[in-house]
Amino acid sequence: MGEPLIELRNITFAYPGASCPVFQDFSFKLLPGHHLGLIGPNGCGKTTLLHLIMGLLRPQSGSIHIFGVEVKKERDFLQVRQKVGLLFQNPDDQLFCPTVLEDVAFGPLNQGKSPKEAVTIARETMARLGLNDFEDRITYKLSEGEKKLVALATVLAMQPQLLLLDEPTTALDEATRHRLIHILQGLDIAYMIVSHERDFLNHTVRTCCHVHKNCCMVE
Amino acid sequence: MTVICEPFSEGTSLVHRLDPRGKIMVAALFAVMMAVAQTYAATLAGLALAILCLTLARLSLSKVACRLLGVNSFIFFLWLLLPLTYPGEAIWRWGPLEFTRQGLTYTGLITLKSNAIIIALIALIATVPVVTLGQALSRLWFPNKLCHLLLFTYRYIYVLAEEYHRLVQAMKIRGFRPGTNLHTYRSYAYLAAMLLVRSYDRAERVFQAMLCRGFHGTFYSLRVFSWQRRDKIFLAVSLLALTALILLESLKPALVRGPHG
Amino acid sequence: MHISEGVLSPAVLAGGAGLAVVGTAIGLKKIDYDAIPRVALLSAAFFVASLIHVPVGPVGLHLVLNGLMGLFLGWLAFPAILIGLFLQALLFQFGGLTVLGVNTVTMAAPAVAGFYAYRGLLRRPGLPALVGAFACGASAILLSGLLVAVALITTGEGFWKVAQLVLLAHIPVMVIEGLITLFVFLFLKKVKPEMLEGIYA
Repeated sequence: MGEPLIELRNITFAYPGASCPVFQDFSFKLLPGHHLGLIGPNGCGKTTLLHLIMGLLRPQSGSIHIFGVEVKKERDFLQVRQKVGLLFQNPDDQLFCPTVLEDVAFGPLNQGKSPKEAVTIARETMARLGLNDFEDRITYKLSEGEKKLVALATVLAMQPQLLLLDEPTTALDEATRHRLIHILQGLDIAYMIVSHERDFLNHTVRTCCHVHKNCCMVE
Repeated sequence: MTVICEPFSEGTSLVHRLDPRGKIMVAALFAVMMAVAQTYAATLAGLALAILCLTLARLSLSKVACRLLGVNSFIFFLWLLLPLTYPGEAIWRWGPLEFTRQGLTYTGLITLKSNAIIIALIALIATVPVVTLGQALSRLWFPNKLCHLLLFTYRYIYVLAEEYHRLVQAMKIRGFRPGTNLHTYRSYAYLAAMLLVRSYDRAERVFQAMLCRGFHGTFYSLRVFSWQRRDKIFLAVSLLALTALILLESLKPALVRGPHG
Repeated sequence: MHISEGVLSPAVLAGGAGLAVVGTAIGLKKIDYDAIPRVALLSAAFFVASLIHVPVGPVGLHLVLNGLMGLFLGWLAFPAILIGLFLQALLFQFGGLTVLGVNTVTMAAPAVAGFYAYRGLLRRPGLPALVGAFACGASAILLSGLLVAVALITTGEGFWKVAQLVLLAHIPVMVIEGLITLFVFLFLKKVKPEMLEGIYA
């Protein structure tokens, strides 16, 4: 089976000023090639879990191993972010460049690709997602569904080995939802989806986990 | 979104197709010259040039007129005051009111100058989408940080304006009616404060999303501009026209000079 | 209040532009690229907030909020206000290009002054902070009005009366901006105190 892609050991995390921790002595594993759905009531820590993996939040105690390496400091997480992609819940948080092409190329450029390579990668990624004519579109003038797909393109353009999606179906119409399911089914990397939509998860993942304060329970 | 739009930026006219860098430079030079001009001859010629550009840009005249009307409100205020209060020779009396020649001619000059600059601004700069403008400015002499700040700000104005509208609607639904009272001012203050809080939270998330995509302090712009033959012609003609304006301003003995002429 | 194109003398325009460049340069120097999202989002929020029209008797006034901007942004108020005014000139043709410098200075200089003048007062608990918040909003407008008047008078003595009236028109705005700044301050202190960190730094 190989070593886990992500392993969280005995994590404790509380938001500053909060009376009760989100996670206490929390442990979690994601194995290679797995497609996992995370479910649970609002506020149970699904998004927090994703942010802990990306290093946007730091646990008060416990250790995080990603691709078998322990990550602790900002510098370690810089490496993580090159290999793990996170799709934010609200695409307006993710898309900040004026045009779609620039936004999709932003990640590859940060990875040190030359502008030419970055544009090629961006175009390829957009073609894969059926966004061929979007290059010069202005990001904030896209529809909600288009924004979501472009945001996904910006993440996939970095060629991640693992993809985290935070409620990807919010505000999507039926057609875009189908497109998204189709795209996810065609991916050959491991991914983890936070969602409240059973039907969507049934189409995209094999296992679903309930997020609790100290573990993830497989259904 | 009714409040914020760029009504002039879309079009296929010759002016729309010109390189934005050229248009920015010409508009800036023109604006400075008009601001400095002191003679009616040069100002009228400038106004004619600006109107020529506007005609070439083929914009909706009703929209342009609408904008000009708004812009002239300050000018209108000056017409109410300056001819009466400007020191000089009285040419017309009406009761206690005294209109001075200098006041009238000076206000007229200001009106012409102001409209010439604004028309040129509409014809040359407002025909560039703000996004392209930001990219063009960073290719000119503007600091990179400032251009990114401009693009970033512009992008999120739309998002925040939508939030603002949602908040206002939510206030209306609950029966809010603005008036001259403390309740109104407090409610508006909370509205503004809520916008600030949301923008602060969003900034946090935007920055996190950037970090997730490997941001480490550098922005890249992929936009490439290139000069076409029409741009070179436009620049040459504009420079000639501007030189002619300077000559007109310096050769022609001032019909009327402003106080600092 | 924005001064329109074509009114001010070349010397005043040049002086305003020069000061605006210096202020903006200082402001830009103080931000690193990491801070750009934060500053941009705040500028965008202030831009949108300035679209709010508050009724004062029969007329509607739009908010300026430069005192508040100063509290949040300090010197960064210069680039933020410059960009806000530039966008207003572009999107609504308010103000203009050659007056951009003067208009930036008349709004941003009081913002920066307010930041240094009222920081201490706002840090104190209770009444002094409230007085400070009101005074910060009100005095920023007063100072803006004075600077506009100075710009007009230095253009030509003929503008005396106009300048006086402009200043008079600023008085009701002063009171309203003071109140709004006070309420915004109270709101943030309760809801999101970390946003006021700049004052305590």
